[in-house]
Amino acid sequence: MIFVFIVLSAITLISSFGVVISRNVVHSALFMSGAFLGVAGFFAMLHSPALAALQVLIYVGAVTVVILFGIMFTQRPQVRRFRTILNRQVGAGFTVALFVGALLIYVFLQQDWGSTSAGHGPRTVASLGRILVGVSSGTDIFALLFEVASILLLVAVVAAIVISRRKTGEGVERRAEE
Amino acid sequence: MSAFVNALDQEPWRFIISLLAIIFLTLNVAAVLTFAERKVAGYIQLRYGPNRVGPRGVLQPMADVLKLFTKENLSPGRADVWVFLAAPIAMFIPAAVIWMVVPFAPKAVVTNLNIGLLFVVSTTSIGALGVVMAGYGSRSNFSLLGALRGAAQMISYEVPLILSLLGVIILTGSLSLVNVVNNQAGGFWHWYIWSQLPMFATFYIAGIAEVKRIPFDLPEGESEIVGGFMIEYSGMTWALIQASEFASMGLMSAITTTLFLGGWQPPFDFLDFGNFNWIWFGLKTAIIMFTFQWIRWSVPRLRMDQLMDFGWKFLVPLSLVWLFVTAAGTLIIH
Repeated sequence: MIFVFIVLSAITLISSFGVVISRNVVHSALFMSGAFLGVAGFFAMLHSPALAALQVLIYVGAVTVVILFGIMFTQRPQVRRFRTILNRQVGAGFTVALFVGALLIYVFLQQDWGSTSAGHGPRTVASLGRILVGVSSGTDIFALLFEVASILLLVAVVAAIVISRRKTGEGVERRAEE
Repeated sequence: MSAFVNALDQEPWRFIISLLAIIFLTLNVAAVLTFAERKVAGYIQLRYGPNRVGPRGVLQPMADVLKLFTKENLSPGRADVWVFLAAPIAMFIPAAVIWMVVPFAPKAVVTNLNIGLLFVVSTTSIGALGVVMAGYGSRSNFSLLGALRGAAQMISYEVPLILSLLGVIILTGSLSLVNVVNNQAGGFWHWYIWSQLPMFATFYIAGIAEVKRIPFDLPEGESEIVGGFMIEYSGMTWALIQASEFASMGLMSAITTTLFLGGWQPPFDFLDFGNFNWIWFGLKTAIIMFTFQWIRWSVPRLRMDQLMDFGWKFLVPLSLVWLFVTAAGTLIIH
């Protein structure tokens, strides 16, 4: 198990460094998918295959592809300016990352986890779903958050359609009259 | 002898052997389907197809594989070499790995994951990443166009693909493919295709789009963008892309069979062959594969706007409506 942990940590850390160090935006995005896959491996290692599968589905399969899609549509693959920005901020970024890491380790060590321990979360999708929508033994607030998140997504989708909608000749005329 | 067989049935060996069998199967499915594709095309167009190597050309796949192995593996000078070479692998691994959760016969499944269906859709979605990598890594305009089309198409059609699975999940109450097959036992009228006919149609069409076959082959479109994302590939890298396309076509047929046509369940109870029920699985999968090829040689390619309209304005609403119908029906009956 410790061997699996070391391999997964190596994948995640090396990919994460690749994201911030590589000078090509597309390479950064691809490294990011490697980091996401590493995190999915952690979920699988902690006996939570549903979370691992969702991580791969949403982050590797959708988010990374959409990011790459956006990069390819909006700019040329090689952008020169990127290198100077990276060099100027590398020290500050490293300091901030170190600080956040130290803070997270401190919080995790100080936190009283109660009766829960790693690898004993809900294993089947059914129990995960029940906890998420608060049907049995779940907190009700999760159901509310779930609904709020879905409304947020709906608003975002509608807004995207409104912004990107091609104005027909009729609509433009009416607007001009007003 | 039996002690040896029992030792092989223990956990690490069972997994390793069955995984190797799966990879062997994937590569062979790709080779045989290439031959079948050309043969079906030939007969549909009233000609013979390949008929020189072996009797009726059945040794053609072997000759193809030998040719592809000995061809030089070129990569364009301007290419982003690592991304260029990693792309075929990123396409092939998902197509090979998903076979792990497909039940071939009563006990013949590599791993019976309790999230089987989730595993299928999440691993399929990595394939889109491979297409984008190939298109970017080649650094050619045709490749980039193909990759952009491919990414847009695969993301759009994943939505109806996943929605159409939900009906089966509601009826089964489980995400495991083994449970899905077990729930369809007892004759062909118990298969989910009857109660889930719109979902079956949605899954079938979205599946064709997901494996980028005609009429949804815009990412490749030989007559428009001369091969799209795979234009710069040659030799074994090209063969790997082709293999992953044909393997994912076979996979989509196998998943369709498992979800809607009862998997390895025989059509009538008296035709139950016990451990040899993989014959039924193979037969149904082969029929679905043949319909894929039939469609390929009968239908013209869609335009990009038609593709998006069809996915978002027809397939998604249809599967949503039938999802409500299924949910309501399940509530009323139980």
